[in-house]
Amino acid sequence: MGVVSRSVGNAFRNKVRSGAVIVILAVAIGLALAMLVANQAVASKVDSLKASIGNNLTINPAGARGGFGGGTPLTTAQLTKAAAVPHVAAAQGLLAVRLATNNGTTTGSSGSSNDSGRAGRFGTAGTTSLQSAVAPGVLGARNNSAGASGGTAATPSFSLPIQATGITGSLTASGTAFNITSGSGFSDFAGTSTQALVGSTLATKNGLKVGSTFTVQDRTMKVTGIFDAGTAFDNNAIYLPLAATQTLTDQAGQLSSISVVVDSIDNVSTTQTALTDALGSSTVDVTAGSTNLQSAVTSLGSVQNISLIAFIASLVTAGLIVLLIMIMVVRERRREIGVLKAIGAGNRTIGLQFVIEALVLVALGTVVGSIVAAFSSNPIVSALVASNTTSNAAGRPRQGAANAVGGFGGGGFGGRGVFSGANQLIGTISTSVGWQTLVIGAVGILAIAAIGALVPALLTAKVRPIEVLRGE
Amino acid sequence: MLTVTNIVKKFNSGERTIKPVNGITFSVEQGTFAAILGKSGSGKSTLLSLLGALDKATSGEVIVDGVNISALPDSKLTAYRRDDIGFVFQQYNLIPNLSAKENVMLPMEFAGVSHAERSKRAGALLEQVELTEEMHGRLANRLSGGMQQRVAIARALANEPKLILADEPTGNLDDETGELIIALLRRLSHEKKTTILVVTHDHALAGQADRKFRLARGTLTEEAVRRQG
Repeated sequence: MGVVSRSVGNAFRNKVRSGAVIVILAVAIGLALAMLVANQAVASKVDSLKASIGNNLTINPAGARGGFGGGTPLTTAQLTKAAAVPHVAAAQGLLAVRLATNNGTTTGSSGSSNDSGRAGRFGTAGTTSLQSAVAPGVLGARNNSAGASGGTAATPSFSLPIQATGITGSLTASGTAFNITSGSGFSDFAGTSTQALVGSTLATKNGLKVGSTFTVQDRTMKVTGIFDAGTAFDNNAIYLPLAATQTLTDQAGQLSSISVVVDSIDNVSTTQTALTDALGSSTVDVTAGSTNLQSAVTSLGSVQNISLIAFIASLVTAGLIVLLIMIMVVRERRREIGVLKAIGAGNRTIGLQFVIEALVLVALGTVVGSIVAAFSSNPIVSALVASNTTSNAAGRPRQGAANAVGGFGGGGFGGRGVFSGANQLIGTISTSVGWQTLVIGAVGILAIAAIGALVPALLTAKVRPIEVLRGE
Repeated sequence: MLTVTNIVKKFNSGERTIKPVNGITFSVEQGTFAAILGKSGSGKSTLLSLLGALDKATSGEVIVDGVNISALPDSKLTAYRRDDIGFVFQQYNLIPNLSAKENVMLPMEFAGVSHAERSKRAGALLEQVELTEEMHGRLANRLSGGMQQRVAIARALANEPKLILADEPTGNLDDETGELIIALLRRLSHEKKTTILVVTHDHALAGQADRKFRLARGTLTEEAVRRQG
């Protein structure tokens, strides 16, 4: 029997007490681990939010937002000016147009497109052979009936126009990278380009694959890639090279919006102001990529702080539990320590024995605590996030179903309302254990063991061998 | 083998100074079985703790086999207790959750003896103190008082010490078992040439010793030994 096996045996000398200590330790360590996992999960969510939504600003012609369009189209000169504003990492010009289906069942009022501005939401700038994958729905039909003819005639059968966006790079209209599920991005950005990227639901609806063709105006376009933007509405769209879009819709040099990427989320607000000042508030509207991003990040930041504090507090609690138990054990076994010293054990040997005893308790507490953490971390994260986002979301108008908002109503354009709450943005946070969590958890538990074991080990060194004669 | 010169131990109790050991001088040859008689509170255990380096004397010298242990630092005292001294206590002081054999193996473990060697030696020592093999694996707290004291004696012999110090080794035992323990100590003393110093208030035990001392009010006097038969 060596010092290790003797220590393991000693740890269970009083089984009831050791069991109780392990249970209490498991709760404390489990809570600490759950909080650590929560902290890491929230940090990961913040990163992904920033990555998915990015530090983006959108510049629109003043008055062009909303369902009715309007404003003067932006120009490439304004794009150049925007790109020169401090903290602007990248600026991309976009030309968003709607294409009517050219089979006689398209949305109405195409003739008014020139008057309302082709960036306006009700006009269409051209035609396509594609059929929309989104059904108009009751609201869409009602809006079409009232808005298109202005009369009360029977609602005609129609299909919604298809959003086509001209781009100059590899980013979507919202400034994020394309998720191309098959094929590839553009290689030809010229005005004569025939390349197109098609959303997955639109491709399915029209039976398109990479290499398939369809028409925009009179030009035959070839599908170079199919992308997945995450929602049925966003996937009911196509992307074309900007110059080709301008040529096809006869809008040379015009942009419907400029997508700006700011170098850091911390500079979004100041850059928004700087862009408005640089381009003129009467000319442009500059909006954040997500008005709720900052709110969501702030809420999650609170959750991170709470979970960090709880992690540290739980660790300290666990360390104190081990410390107090081991002090009690050392006091109880002073005579035994005296015996060991009397028969020749050195301070180091006895100290090591008590350190291993403490480590056994911590190790078992960690094993049970890990099981506790595995079951509790998800509910804890959910509860923390819910309690920290409810207050932020309260008072914000929340839009209804994704297909019932925006200028076109049900089944039409809009999709995500500008007022969608921070908690919608946050969505679900699922926990997982990464290497960082493991490293921090291991360091934390080692700290517990150090607190709990070293102090008692030092106490044993102070016990004099004469203790063996106490009570003789 | 053991030479004690003018050893003093003082304690302060409030404003009073107590001297349980007050200028004791004596010597004992190797292989002697000596007894120190004294009433409760006469300073027997204090003297034993000084001889066994469990405590430090206020003044005086304790020389064991030519080494003045009074002048040794703590680290050397640990080695002295481990290699040169064996203790037998009135309350046995075995580690309760270890078996009889594991208790005997402990001092050898501290001395760095290999597991196989200490297992073999512990088995042999337990045989010497007449504990059957089936008792070797029994937990110490499951043994009778007499058996525990035998294990304690075997443990004291583990590292083949020069000196065994026994503090009231029969104090917790009935007369018959006590006599067996004394006979065992005597036999070991003569067979192994180990010096054994027993402190006791038991005259019967002291009567078995080669030399007998009486401790009273902190001072030690030797008495003549009268053997029966």
